[in-house]
Amino acid sequence: MAIINQATKELQVKIVYYGPALGGKTTNLVQVHDHVQTQEGHKGKLVSLATSSDRTLFFDFLPIEAVAIRGFKTKFQLYTVPGQVIYNTTRQLVLRGVDGIVFVADSQYEKMEESVKSFQNLEENLKALDLDLNDIPYVLQYNKRDLPNAAPVDYMEFLLNNHDVQVPSFTAVAHKCQGVFETLNMITRMLLHKFINEGSRTGVKQRQQQPVH
Amino acid sequence: MPLPQLIAEDVRELDRLLGELVTRTEASSAMIIDKAGFLITQSGTDAGVDSTTLAALAAGSFAATQGMASIVSESNFNCVYQQGESFSLIVQNIENDTLLVVVFAAHVSVGAVKYFANAGVPRIADQLLRARERGDGELDLAMMNMENSSEFFRKVAEQD
Repeated sequence: MAIINQATKELQVKIVYYGPALGGKTTNLVQVHDHVQTQEGHKGKLVSLATSSDRTLFFDFLPIEAVAIRGFKTKFQLYTVPGQVIYNTTRQLVLRGVDGIVFVADSQYEKMEESVKSFQNLEENLKALDLDLNDIPYVLQYNKRDLPNAAPVDYMEFLLNNHDVQVPSFTAVAHKCQGVFETLNMITRMLLHKFINEGSRTGVKQRQQQPVH
Repeated sequence: MPLPQLIAEDVRELDRLLGELVTRTEASSAMIIDKAGFLITQSGTDAGVDSTTLAALAAGSFAATQGMASIVSESNFNCVYQQGESFSLIVQNIENDTLLVVVFAAHVSVGAVKYFANAGVPRIADQLLRARERGDGELDLAMMNMENSSEFFRKVAEQD
């Protein structure tokens, strides 16, 4: 859960990129790292705990500060999980203390089953941590839209976004940085909106009373 | 449930306890981190050390150790120790949500570091408990400016 440090006017938030193996989670972080506008010192190193063949073993980690939130230092920690099925224990470890989730689905027809199973795995792993996906802001990203065998977006929506409450979803070509920032900005908006709302129930003072969106 | 929040008094006391620990153990730095990987506060010399990343990795390392503990049915893996040639470090459990990380010169006895860390941990835990129990207090987000909320993160302009 996010931490607020009143003394230093800091808010720290953890966002986890989840999804099937080779779906583009690490690519999202690489693109954010390479293309984000930041003031000096506001972007940390991208750390990858990967195998010798560049597959995520434990997690990727990117600490970053948002430029548009003035007055309050808001530090985001972006993590990926390993997508390979065998690394389920490490996926659970990375989910600890998560504030928001970006689910990166692979748009290719033949990867659809993997994406659906990965989404189910996310729900199971959250349950194991006594968390409920309905309580955590999340967005969907349909990646690899540039491939010829990409399934229609409506079909992916039917498979992955057919819960009682539909969440924002984005098409993306992560390796070209298309859709990457749109996804990150939306999960950030949803998170801060949630904090302000939770805060108003618990005595948080805020300057602007209207919702974030 | 209110968001965990620390006020100046908490940070002052935690810094004081960490400062005491650093002095007694001759450590180069000590940090309190959240088990989710957040750096809460630190003391000591941190020149050249990326403490944000160190906090994330230490939390990950400790979590992996807990995973190993549960596999071998052990409930008391509450400290991780890494010995190096120049520097060593320990990651010690504080309470349910936080960890203490101490980085110290390799020639310093780990036994001494653990002894003083063990003595300091309950006092750190007490202060964190006081912060958590202050849940009813007002949390001031007045400084948060939500303008440009659609573009928290901006992409650098493409170069032709």
